[in-house]
Amino acid sequence: MRRADAALDFAANAALIGAAVLLVLRPRLVARAANSPLLPKARDLAVAGARALVPPAPPPLSWHVSTARQLSRLIASYSPTRIATARALTKRAGRRLNGSSALLAFSVLADSAVEHYRGSFANRAMYTPLVTSALTLGGSLFGMADARPKKHTVRDTIYAAAAATGFAGLCFHAYNVLKRPGGASWNNLFYAAPIGAPMALALAGLLGRGAERVRDVPPRQRPTILGMPAGRALAAVAAGGLFGTVGEAALLHFRGAFQNPAMVLPVTVPPVAAALLGAAALRPNRQTNRLARWWLRFTALLGLGGVGFHIFGVSRAMGGWRNWSQNVLNGPPLPAPPSFSGLALAGLAALSLIEDETDA
Amino acid sequence: MPDRYPGYDVLQKRHSPSWNDQTRAVIDRRMAIDPDHHAFFSDAEWPTMRAICDRIVPQPPNRLHPAPVAAMVDQKLHDNSGDGYRDARLPPLREAWRRALAAIDAEATSRYGRHFHEIGALLQDDLLKAIQNGEVDDKAWGDMPAKIFFQKRLLHDVVSAYYAHPAAWNEIGFGGPASPRGYVRMNFDRRDPWEAAEARPGREDKARAENARVG
Repeated sequence: MRRADAALDFAANAALIGAAVLLVLRPRLVARAANSPLLPKARDLAVAGARALVPPAPPPLSWHVSTARQLSRLIASYSPTRIATARALTKRAGRRLNGSSALLAFSVLADSAVEHYRGSFANRAMYTPLVTSALTLGGSLFGMADARPKKHTVRDTIYAAAAATGFAGLCFHAYNVLKRPGGASWNNLFYAAPIGAPMALALAGLLGRGAERVRDVPPRQRPTILGMPAGRALAAVAAGGLFGTVGEAALLHFRGAFQNPAMVLPVTVPPVAAALLGAAALRPNRQTNRLARWWLRFTALLGLGGVGFHIFGVSRAMGGWRNWSQNVLNGPPLPAPPSFSGLALAGLAALSLIEDETDA
Repeated sequence: MPDRYPGYDVLQKRHSPSWNDQTRAVIDRRMAIDPDHHAFFSDAEWPTMRAICDRIVPQPPNRLHPAPVAAMVDQKLHDNSGDGYRDARLPPLREAWRRALAAIDAEATSRYGRHFHEIGALLQDDLLKAIQNGEVDDKAWGDMPAKIFFQKRLLHDVVSAYYAHPAAWNEIGFGGPASPRGYVRMNFDRRDPWEAAEARPGREDKARAENARVG
């Protein structure tokens, strides 16, 4: 059993380190692998699954109304100002998604650096998220600065690697919880490797992939992801990510006994924002969109304010900030709350895409 | 005995976040104890007491600041600070020690014709072993069982005094008070940077380098 564990450990480590090294040394090879014919098949399966979950299209309008509307849309779509506005909007949304990916990547970089240092880098694979999140942060900042309405292969590849690292990290963390005495007990969920944390890196990757799709749209077309309108797909990712992050905050704030009333905020505000974002994706209308926008803004602010609360939390532990070497590691994680901001900003970008998709 | 924590000195943590004013005051008091000071034991009892401590917790002769074990026990007895409990077969703290020291010296005199502190380490060990096994019968013990005194009073007081001193902490790699700074890495075989590094055989230099950074 122990030998099997060790072999598994070794194989996973070797694969992860190999992937990280390849990504740095041979980005093209990784890009080619990412474009291999196996992936589309897996993607088609996922698309079929996702389609089954999407609500059915509304009943068709009577023929003269729909024909007239189609005609007017067709004519409008050739108007140069309209093309320019649409492109500017998708480009802007793409850069904003790059930005939210940057924020998530920064959060992961700082958090995994602190927490994996605390874990003494006992497993070599614990360096991987530092490398990939640093690359993701760099790529995303480049994406924010890059005004060209095109996708960038290196950025796109980095994002794919970030998503892969995030999902691999999820497996590693689950393994870390399960291998301890007691298995998936509350105690291990509280104190072993946090299950939800690697998902932030996966989300940074997914949102980054989305950003690259959105900013690279031919004229007179709307961005799509996996066959779905990009706004809806990204809203689903952001809302799902928000719910996951809420789960993580709920677990750890419950561990902290909600001893400060403000600890309730991240388990009450973001779920409302996520639910409204989901509602806006499924049934967009002016009122839902506006509500969702305000709650998402509130969530984004909360993520930044959370850092302040966590700084205060460190100061309240025995020895306060003078005892930083214990309290930063044992106290509330300083870089964790901005994950909420990153996801909320992604939700806001998705919302503006949804509005563009539906108001025409 | 090989040094398992080479180069480790817990006093290096004095100005680190591990200590505060209270810690510094307590440890300074403990480090300042004069090994020859005795306020409770009489001048006749004192050499016996020192000889007993030297046999129960012998310290390496090259130790720069050996723990003043006998003086620490003396302080406890002088302050009459009990443990809050005692074996009912023994008299109260002070009386038990007074009676036992007189009895131990009487045993040495009746067996070997000399004081306890004069008979040498080998005979001292023999006599202490006899007490540990209850194989002594001098009338100076009175109704106090020698075996119980050895187990519940002598070992308890001498060993706790020894391990309350930084010299013993360095020996066992103990970090001293876990307040204000406690520990972060709680798993087996993990170590915080402010904890002593234990040398693996052949890797003493690595531990020495790590211990130089403790603080």
